[in-house]
Amino acid sequence: MTSTTSRTARRGDRRRTRTIDPVTFEILRNSFSNAVELMAQQFRLTCHSFVIYAKDFSCSLADAEGNPVAQGDQDIAVHIGTHHLVCRSVIDAFAGDIHPGDVFVTNDPYSGGTHFNDVRVLRPIFVEGELIAWAMANGHWSDVGGLVPGSFDVKAREHFGEGLRIPPIRVWSAGELHDDIAAFIVGNTRAPQDNLSDLHAQAEATRVCEREVLRLVGRYGRDVVTAAFGAVIDHASSLLRARVAALPDGTWTAVDYLDGNPALGEGLVPVQVTLTIDGDRLRYDLNGSGPAVSTFMNSTYGATLSGLLAGTKHFFPDVPVNAGLYRAIEVDLGPEGTVVNAAWPTAVSGFVSGVFEKVVNALFELWSQIIPARAMSCSFNLEYLLIGGRDMRSPEQPIFMWYDWMVGGWGGRNGRDGATAASPLFGAGFASQPVEGQERLNPIITSHHRIVPDSGGPGRFRGGCGVEKGGQLSDSAATVMSYCCDRERSVPWGLEGGLPSSPQGLRLNPEAADERYLGAIFSNEEVIAGDRFSRASAGGGGYGDPLDRSADAVLDDVIDGYVTPARAAKDYGVVVMQVQELPPLWEVDDAATEQLRGRIRLERHGWLDMDAFAIARRYRDGDLDALDCLRQYGVVLDWGTGELLPRTTQQMRDLLRRRAAQHWRRSAEEAS
Amino acid sequence: MARRRAAEAARGTVRVAIDVGGTFTDVCVLDDATGEIRTAKVPSSVTDPLTSVIEGLKALDLDLSTVQRVTHGTTITTNALVMRDFPPAALVTTRGFRDVIEIRDGTQEDVWDPYREVAPPYIRRRHRFEVDERIDYSGRVLRPLDHAQARRVAEEVRAHGARAVAVCLINSYANGQHEAELREVLLQADPDLHVSLSSEVLPEINEYERFSTTVANALLGSLVTRYIGRLADHLARQGYTGDLLLMHSGGGSMTAALAQEFPLRLAASSIAGGAMAARHIALQCGYQDAVALDMGGTSSDITLVQDGQVRVSKHWWVEYGHPISFPGVELATVGAGGGTIAWIDESGALRSGPRSAGAHPGPASYRRGGSEPTNTDANLVLGRLSTSLAGGTVNLDADAARQAVATRIAEPLGLTAEHAAHAMIEIADSAVASAARLLRQARRSLSPQAPLIVFGGAGPMHGVAIARELGIPTVIVPPSPGTTSALGCLLVDIRHDFSVMYQGNASDIDPVTLEERFLGLEQEARERLRFEGVPDAAIALERQVSMRYRGQWRSLDIPMGRGKGALTAAVALFQETYRAQYSYRGEHTPVELYQLGLTAIGRLPQVPFPAQTPVSSRPVPSGQRMAVLGGAGAPVAVSVYQRLRLKAGHTLDGPAIIEQPDATTVVPSGHRASVDEWGNLRITERTAS
Repeated sequence: MTSTTSRTARRGDRRRTRTIDPVTFEILRNSFSNAVELMAQQFRLTCHSFVIYAKDFSCSLADAEGNPVAQGDQDIAVHIGTHHLVCRSVIDAFAGDIHPGDVFVTNDPYSGGTHFNDVRVLRPIFVEGELIAWAMANGHWSDVGGLVPGSFDVKAREHFGEGLRIPPIRVWSAGELHDDIAAFIVGNTRAPQDNLSDLHAQAEATRVCEREVLRLVGRYGRDVVTAAFGAVIDHASSLLRARVAALPDGTWTAVDYLDGNPALGEGLVPVQVTLTIDGDRLRYDLNGSGPAVSTFMNSTYGATLSGLLAGTKHFFPDVPVNAGLYRAIEVDLGPEGTVVNAAWPTAVSGFVSGVFEKVVNALFELWSQIIPARAMSCSFNLEYLLIGGRDMRSPEQPIFMWYDWMVGGWGGRNGRDGATAASPLFGAGFASQPVEGQERLNPIITSHHRIVPDSGGPGRFRGGCGVEKGGQLSDSAATVMSYCCDRERSVPWGLEGGLPSSPQGLRLNPEAADERYLGAIFSNEEVIAGDRFSRASAGGGGYGDPLDRSADAVLDDVIDGYVTPARAAKDYGVVVMQVQELPPLWEVDDAATEQLRGRIRLERHGWLDMDAFAIARRYRDGDLDALDCLRQYGVVLDWGTGELLPRTTQQMRDLLRRRAAQHWRRSAEEAS
Repeated sequence: MARRRAAEAARGTVRVAIDVGGTFTDVCVLDDATGEIRTAKVPSSVTDPLTSVIEGLKALDLDLSTVQRVTHGTTITTNALVMRDFPPAALVTTRGFRDVIEIRDGTQEDVWDPYREVAPPYIRRRHRFEVDERIDYSGRVLRPLDHAQARRVAEEVRAHGARAVAVCLINSYANGQHEAELREVLLQADPDLHVSLSSEVLPEINEYERFSTTVANALLGSLVTRYIGRLADHLARQGYTGDLLLMHSGGGSMTAALAQEFPLRLAASSIAGGAMAARHIALQCGYQDAVALDMGGTSSDITLVQDGQVRVSKHWWVEYGHPISFPGVELATVGAGGGTIAWIDESGALRSGPRSAGAHPGPASYRRGGSEPTNTDANLVLGRLSTSLAGGTVNLDADAARQAVATRIAEPLGLTAEHAAHAMIEIADSAVASAARLLRQARRSLSPQAPLIVFGGAGPMHGVAIARELGIPTVIVPPSPGTTSALGCLLVDIRHDFSVMYQGNASDIDPVTLEERFLGLEQEARERLRFEGVPDAAIALERQVSMRYRGQWRSLDIPMGRGKGALTAAVALFQETYRAQYSYRGEHTPVELYQLGLTAIGRLPQVPFPAQTPVSSRPVPSGQRMAVLGGAGAPVAVSVYQRLRLKAGHTLDGPAIIEQPDATTVVPSGHRASVDEWGNLRITERTAS
């Protein structure tokens, strides 16, 4: 049997680069994307994990060295910067020992992956004994073992016990499955049968890609196809470079924050990104980011790189994702041991809710200054609730796992409000689940699933609204609840004068005597039949000064219930009254509005300097609510006890001054 | 209500199909007695589709009193959805759920461009009302409907001036009682209201799809009712006494009465017409499987025929974020048509589409202000297309085409104009082939012998190259490629699809209750077809069961027989189909039933197409011109034939061009075209002999 190491393939590749005519190039470029789409389609049609079905997966075709040539255009955003790293980890582990019919599996965040649930299946593609390409299908298995159902242990400090770590491992040899290895992998999970089926589905999906590549080799010849790999990568790289070269040179810095590091007490944890444009060069520097936190919200280098690429891609949506995009971007993640560059064995399973979306949002702030036509404020944060126990509705009392994530609001944009009820930045194609399907499978009855009034950050262009979902446990036993979301304190922020949106967090038995506020991150909380729960996703931050929003737009929002009359006055200075009950008619009181807006313009700068302890007291007394504290005073509290978080408040006020207050005008004349 | 028998040939022997498309209205007339088909094409009216119908009928000078049946394909509902031409409307739902159609599943169509958001809901939040009530997953009432609240909501709906109301309650697919009660209350307050219940429109699980389908259905009711009324009046005044049948998205027709109840089922009417015609042509030519390509001015639509049926899907939309879960012809659309524009990107790569010059300004060669090179211009540069089209009514400017291709594409790339034009065509063809490959992949069990049936103005010009790209051995060009959708309307039976949730492991299913559920569906189906005037003898009922491996999220629809052992056989067929489709099967995973389905068909008399007797003569070219037909290269002298003069039995070898008023067919060298007994061109690679 012939086998080829990546080294010889690499030399071969270089030789062949750039010897291809523009027509064949474009046809092959489309064909490579098509091969990946075919793989993705097969994967989704045959998967078992409902998380994969909801589109938490990605697929790629890479050259012999593991440089992605094409990645799925519907891939989950969070994977996009990891395919080359993972492929290289397999190549390095098996150098000189890679053969036709082999299939490799890995899920290792410490060698370029994301988190343990993302199990990647890789197939080397050979032509006449020469390795020319790799196909990868990567999907989120709903469980990979560990202490907590769903493998999300928010309290984990180290990865041991979070779930099964799979370093690069050969699961098929010469087309034959190693049953023992497969059994070992799935035997360490809570859903062995589903996971085994997904393993097969992924391996078959990569075979679809292999079939396509071999078809192209048959049609165009091996040398042309491999030359096209290089040319397609160069194309993406030169497209991005051309765009960057047209932008002004300079250096910009932005900071977004995680809610905190429980081990160090309260205080937001920075994710800092400095962007430098120098000619056609683009450089991100993450020095200045905080040390790794004591929850599982950290990120290793692969996932952080995904955040940088995803954030960039949102401003250049038509530039294809492949190794060319990686190549056009220089990255300095700073020292190991930070929240963005966590080292083995730091726990990282919650990296999406933690670091990933902070990196993307920091990039939104950076690029919004450079390309204002595509500006966008901060968006809500991925959140997910897991409730697992026994379903007592049937005599077998099977285990159920209600694993739910919500949509939320995206940031206000330049000239347009933000999107309401959209999938998270984690992946804009990631679908939430139907309530009716969930009720059939789980003993939980959803009481409501609705848009939350006032959740969108006020701005001239309002942030999109978040949603709220509540439910009640019915016939269940031995049930626990875990929640992971962040943005309870580091509330989505506005830009150019726009205000923050709303905090995320969960309440047990809301508005009852035994109500408990459980916050944004907890695990294995015991719950019993009859318990009710409710949680809201945040809206997006506002864009532009809310006092500049047209009164008619505010009126429309009030009529539709996106904004309440009370907050129309507080946040926008617009006085709206209902003048007829049926059919309901509403009007703006122009005179009162002018007066109110004038007063807010004069006073609001001072609100950010008011005594925060006094504000906290007024919250506890019921005079102020959470939105008052955040938007008017920049004060962050423990939303359960009402206790002031002094350090967090200071950070919040600093960022409000920078992102909002410095853009506010003090008078209507100045404003116009 | 007067019932007539749609399936009876009580009047004359003539059938008429009218397909009102976006640009053109096609009329197709068939005389059963002679088998003769006549067609007409008139521009579609922008303001009133009825005018187009009238003009189209006028063009053929028909005596409508001799017509036994009129079938109509229409884009009015599609246009209304796109333009949001809706009456004042309201949604009534369970407390806590008025935002289902706005929350959706959160997904964005363009996952990378935050400035391209999903279009807002069809009904604004202010017009979505809630009532207290709740039913659980099993259909049990957890909280009875609060009638006092319902009456208050009915008042609010009336005060808003709503003409249409969608009533969509959580879990109503399991128990529609509360929705029915709400209808009573709403109609008491306003008897003229058009009320759609989700439990009647689409009694299927998952609130987002059911609500969305019901809302769109409710919004279209008055429009379709009004339109059908005017059309029926017009036809009656012209002496027509038969039923009006409407082509629906699932590849069948339905009577006007049902179209008024389920107007949303018309949303892909025109596409279904083309797909049904392709099915007919495939079967006529002896194929059970086929790929159909309708390539027009701005895009290409690809559909599939498998096992003698047009593939349908229940996952589609007119606008992303507004799913329509009625069966619709499974379709891939790609932005590659005659007007698709080629361009050079910042990195110097040649790209094609998705922008199109459309009809205005049109390709550069139209001389209507367009200066960017399109596929039509490229075809003109290559000599494939004549400068005189549509029987001399359209004249193209070859110099303008060459100028556009040369300056925009050839010069930047350092190519000749011919080479650049060829490159443009190749890239467009490759894009179409990719889309077809993706569609075919999802139905991998499609026969490798399945032909490519090409129609639309541009289909026959690109067909052979696309077929080669896909490894398809045969290309079929129907006699009138430009009026194929209308032909499809002529051919369809009445067809309805019913479904009901039925979940459980196949091994645990009680055959008696399963049979009862099917009998229930069959009863409903028979009643509906009888209501439409279909005699019992013409009714055919086909059972399906949708199955999957337990734990999966996508199901396969498997045909199921009757009697003992039918379920076991269906499970075996599922395993076999699954393996054929996806190359593997879940050996040890239990098979789960998800839904029962029933297709109810009211068979209409078959069209007696007479076969022509093949002639032994050889076809004579009408002329020659210089053209590039196959691979890139210098133009060569190519024979040009007139399609209307070709007869059954004629055979001609490429390189050749076959012209007819509504299309141009390209037969590259190495290929042979023959005319079959139905007048279809069949193009295959010439075997070395």
